Amino acid sequence: MPYRLEITLKPGLTDAEGGQIARKADHYLGLALESVRTIHVVTIDADLSEDQLKKIQTGIFTNPVTQISSFDPLPSEFDWSIWVGFRPGVRDNPGATAVEALEDLLGLKLGREEAVYTSRRYCIRAPGLAVDDADKIAGELLANNIIQQWRVISKKEWDPETGIGFIIPKVRLEHTPTVSTLPIGTDKALKKVSDERNLALNPNDIPTIRSYFLKKDVLTARNEVGLTEPTDIELEYISQARSDHCNHNTFNGLFHYTDLSTGKTEKVDNLFKTCIQSPTLALKEKKSWVISVLWDNAGVGRFDEDHYYVITGETHNSPSNMEAYGGAITGIVGVYRDPLGTGKGSKLLMGSYGYCVGHRDYKGDLKPHLHPRRLLDGVIEGVKDGGNKSGIPTSFGQVLFHPGYMGKCLVFVTAIGLMPARVQGAPSEIKTTTPGDLIIMCGGRVGKDGIHGVTASSESFSSHTPAGHVQIGDPYTQKKMHDFLLEVRDQGLIRFLTDNGGGGLSSSVGESAEFSNGCEVTLEKVPIKYDGLDQWEIWVSESQERMTVAIAPEHLDLFMALSKKHAVESTVIGRYTDSGKLHITYNGNTCAYIDLDLMASGFPQWEFQAEWQPPENRGLFEPVIGKPKECTPLLLDILSRPNICSKEWIARQYDHEVQGTSAVKPFIGKERDVNSDAAVIRPVLSSEKGLAFAQSLLPAYSAIDAYHMTACTIDEAVRRLIAIGADPSQIGGVDNFCWPDIQFHPEKNPDGKFKAAQLVRSCKALKEMCMAYEIPLLSGKDSMYVDGHLAGRYGETRKISALETLQFSATSLVDNVATCVTMDAKMAGDLVYVLGLTRNELGGSEYYEQLGFTGCNVPKVSPGPFKRLYRALNNAIADGLVASAHGIFRGGLGVHLAMVAMGGNLGMTIDLQNIPSDQPLRADTLLFSESAGRFIITIDPKKKNAFQKLFKDLPWGCMGTITETPYLNINDTDGSLMISASIQDLKSAWKTPFGDLI
Amino acid sequence: MTPDINVLVLTGYGLNCDHETAHSFSLAGARPSRVHINSLIDGTMNLENFQILVFGGGFSWGDDHGAGVIQAIRMKTNIGDTLLKFIENGNLVMGICNGFQTLVNLGLLPGFDRDYTRRSVALTFNDCGNFRDQWVYLKINSDSPCIFTQGIDKLELPVRHGEGKFYSDASTLLHLETNNQVVLQYATSGYEPAGLTFPDNPNGSVSDIAGICDPSGRIFGLMPHPEAFHHPTNHPDWAREKEIAIRNGKTWTPEPAMGLKLFENAVHYFS
Repeated sequence: MPYRLEITLKPGLTDAEGGQIARKADHYLGLALESVRTIHVVTIDADLSEDQLKKIQTGIFTNPVTQISSFDPLPSEFDWSIWVGFRPGVRDNPGATAVEALEDLLGLKLGREEAVYTSRRYCIRAPGLAVDDADKIAGELLANNIIQQWRVISKKEWDPETGIGFIIPKVRLEHTPTVSTLPIGTDKALKKVSDERNLALNPNDIPTIRSYFLKKDVLTARNEVGLTEPTDIELEYISQARSDHCNHNTFNGLFHYTDLSTGKTEKVDNLFKTCIQSPTLALKEKKSWVISVLWDNAGVGRFDEDHYYVITGETHNSPSNMEAYGGAITGIVGVYRDPLGTGKGSKLLMGSYGYCVGHRDYKGDLKPHLHPRRLLDGVIEGVKDGGNKSGIPTSFGQVLFHPGYMGKCLVFVTAIGLMPARVQGAPSEIKTTTPGDLIIMCGGRVGKDGIHGVTASSESFSSHTPAGHVQIGDPYTQKKMHDFLLEVRDQGLIRFLTDNGGGGLSSSVGESAEFSNGCEVTLEKVPIKYDGLDQWEIWVSESQERMTVAIAPEHLDLFMALSKKHAVESTVIGRYTDSGKLHITYNGNTCAYIDLDLMASGFPQWEFQAEWQPPENRGLFEPVIGKPKECTPLLLDILSRPNICSKEWIARQYDHEVQGTSAVKPFIGKERDVNSDAAVIRPVLSSEKGLAFAQSLLPAYSAIDAYHMTACTIDEAVRRLIAIGADPSQIGGVDNFCWPDIQFHPEKNPDGKFKAAQLVRSCKALKEMCMAYEIPLLSGKDSMYVDGHLAGRYGETRKISALETLQFSATSLVDNVATCVTMDAKMAGDLVYVLGLTRNELGGSEYYEQLGFTGCNVPKVSPGPFKRLYRALNNAIADGLVASAHGIFRGGLGVHLAMVAMGGNLGMTIDLQNIPSDQPLRADTLLFSESAGRFIITIDPKKKNAFQKLFKDLPWGCMGTITETPYLNINDTDGSLMISASIQDLKSAWKTPFGDLI
Repeated sequence: MTPDINVLVLTGYGLNCDHETAHSFSLAGARPSRVHINSLIDGTMNLENFQILVFGGGFSWGDDHGAGVIQAIRMKTNIGDTLLKFIENGNLVMGICNGFQTLVNLGLLPGFDRDYTRRSVALTFNDCGNFRDQWVYLKINSDSPCIFTQGIDKLELPVRHGEGKFYSDASTLLHLETNNQVVLQYATSGYEPAGLTFPDNPNGSVSDIAGICDPSGRIFGLMPHPEAFHHPTNHPDWAREKEIAIRNGKTWTPEPAMGLKLFENAVHYFS
């Protein structure tokens, strides 16, 4: 019989969780609650004696100093009691660790049908709170109906003896696993199957799939193993492998590009090959530090003679949009498996985040599944738990608000790992499978979770999107597996290693089998969470925290012994062959038999019409703005803008120092509250060498031209590294594209051709910038379909598409971390320089946004001249001439002068007349233009000559000095004082918008 | 130097500060080994060969059901007696963050009257309601018998936790204070008591307590992370301090990182 233990803090102790809920009820829903107390509920569905129950109650679940507990409902004062628990099949991490603890303490093993479930009961005191409001608190604050269930019970309804009763979210499928054969008589029949089974097969692929299964020799071979028409597991395999998510059909597509202003047309065959692969391979030839790119789970660059760093970036947009916490934690934990599964495996070093969401204070008519504020809260928390519990520092991050992300949010997660250059004498970046190797699945078990995740993320979000693909990552299980795999690697046991992410075993086994050219999988061996899963479900499930490993049979005993030591489940599920076939059996019966080379050939290339119209032909123009007279409040208002202001509350929740590698932190300056341009870590503890990392996101410029958006984004990432003192010749890049649907459809996607043209232009800029700055793309991903159909005020739905967005991540090396320079002003009396030309480039700027305009003059990058300047700055930093260096980013010079001053808690006097510009510019243009290629530098006046000598023939100006008086004073070009603000006022403007969040 | 001091740093089950903790001990002159909890339990590794045992930072068992609780159960159930014997033999035990949480759940701290099994203090959820990473100023009780902090009166270290609020009832607190078992207290930048004020006291710990020891001073637990300050560039202000030092005519030679002192004291105890 089940037992239910309720645990709560002793009266009088602060209930911090309850306090947060009360605060949010007030701030988010306008509901005043007197108090909220949290009761943790542990439901034990196992046969235990009274003694055993007592033992676990006191031994595990109740802290004698702070908590009380009872197997009867705890008496607690409330007006409403809200119980929240998981739905069946949702990952309950504390439930799983409770089982481990209980088994340890009692010295027993729970039976197959026994389990522990955790849930919460909130006791709310709020006399007069209506039932609808209590429901609102449950549904909009405490629970998400996709993964959770809840009960709202009034004081009157409460039965103090039965309490909430026994709610056991156990999965019961009552289903016998069955392999079905699917009809493919006609294209129409297969299309029907695809629709009914949610396979999301591209209509163009259907004839190819059919003709394969109808081929005579294929049929003969299939008959020999007892198969005829395709099975469900086979079509699921093809669907996964052909999905845009796995196969990048969009980037591999054929683009018919027309510039409507000139009538010029161009065919771009395969954006990936022309704009990503070819420049990267060309640069790999030139740069010996590029070790492994374009094929593995992540890219590999040399850190030092004995170590390589490994990097990749991912997005987890669709799942986060539906269940923010679950989506984000699964995203960060998932991306950590990429470096872990690169080469023979790497240790995770650091992570970073990028969130793009609607405005936190959105009050409009649209009804997204989660309000942007709640969505952001959940995403932040998911990455917090995922990163912190993995023991990996989250060292960098960005947040961007824009209404376009209401349709679908973006959650970027980036991971860096480190591996030894050689493992037992063999190159660590090389791996392969050979016939006879065992296929081993390690880590978590397989359940229904995550089924069709890949195909769902290849579609835009609608009310029909299956919710079943939302998961909750489990960093604890993965950390154990991480430690285990690194020990196994160091013993030289790993021949091949890859993660089970999108597509599950279907992808990991399918792709690894291509090396040996075949495999045989005995599917019944795969450990499952509960009975009743169909064979195809086991094959494509995306249940998390799993890796697929190939080892030689003679190493099995040692491998399993280490697996046991690390408390990781590992199972041999088959072996690699050279049969050319993917051969899956279940209890001896063949359920899939497919030629592995099917995926490599025969499928039609996707085609896109792309039509470009320059911004001036799209009705964009330069707004007519008279010169502002009140520039101090203008600057303060821009500092308070959501995309400029401080978001310290987020990064403080993230452990950015674990592993002891931190050398330049996210927050620096006198009061440790201003953002540094880049993060620097010292990955090898016994070495002084550093790895610098920075990212940028500038989607606002896409409203004008995605070409320049891309160029500026890359330039910003580069400047962030240069400013910190990193080597310009060893920059590696990671591109993460997030684009709305680009396939034209007259009704469903009328501007598809324009968005396709934006993608082509963006990719061209990517190629040109990477070649000019010599940045090999170590890794990259694309996530298309950033669109959503949101319900509006009148029951209509509206399609909301995101701005065309590229996140660019850049890494480089620092010989000695102690030579790095931070961005904060250091000493009064120091000279303040601007490097680089300021141009009339206010298009898409924060200044224009503040005034309600878009404009046309988007910032442009001239990599040739910029590069000379960056080299000179790199030399100045290396020569010790620079006291502080900071790039001029979003918001322009005014905003970033304020950042440098705030960083030092020092004042600054600036003369705008000394700013080099391509033509005479008005003060507001000088202050708020977002021209690329610029920096603010402060130096010791004694070093003036040496510094200036390095910048001979380059654009620079000495703008002013750092002052002890804590005021930012800016003089107009005519010498009159136009801005005067105390550092305190600047800080208050910059920190107040999100200042009450913790 | 005392090269024969062996340090056992626990790993596994979600612990995660083992590499930098081991590194800090080797900088302090000891010989550290990272040992999986299960290797200690199954006897592959023998505690008798070590002088210092470290329960390090991390999220053991995901910190579900109270930080450090399940780790404490696993240790107590399987090798409880071995641990007590290790202490009886005059060795040192250090608990950092999750390790501190484990020590209080094991009852190794506060260890009143040599009772190393009773749970009488707790580390619970931060009053601010969230996990927090920040550097703190720590005032050190020079009257404390703590071996690890001898000769240090103040220290800056990072805290990184969600459950670091030290809590006990008033009489236990008084007992701790009278015994000088309170070792570290959160302070202001001027090393005045934080007085429960956020963020100087980042979690609401009673009496600003950041670390305590047992009456012998040989068992020490603290929430801040000394192993995260083993290198001068770990400190958040190093780039500022470097520039200012150079301007004042000094060549910048990085001070040895202060966090290392705690490890050096532990190692020197045996010399």
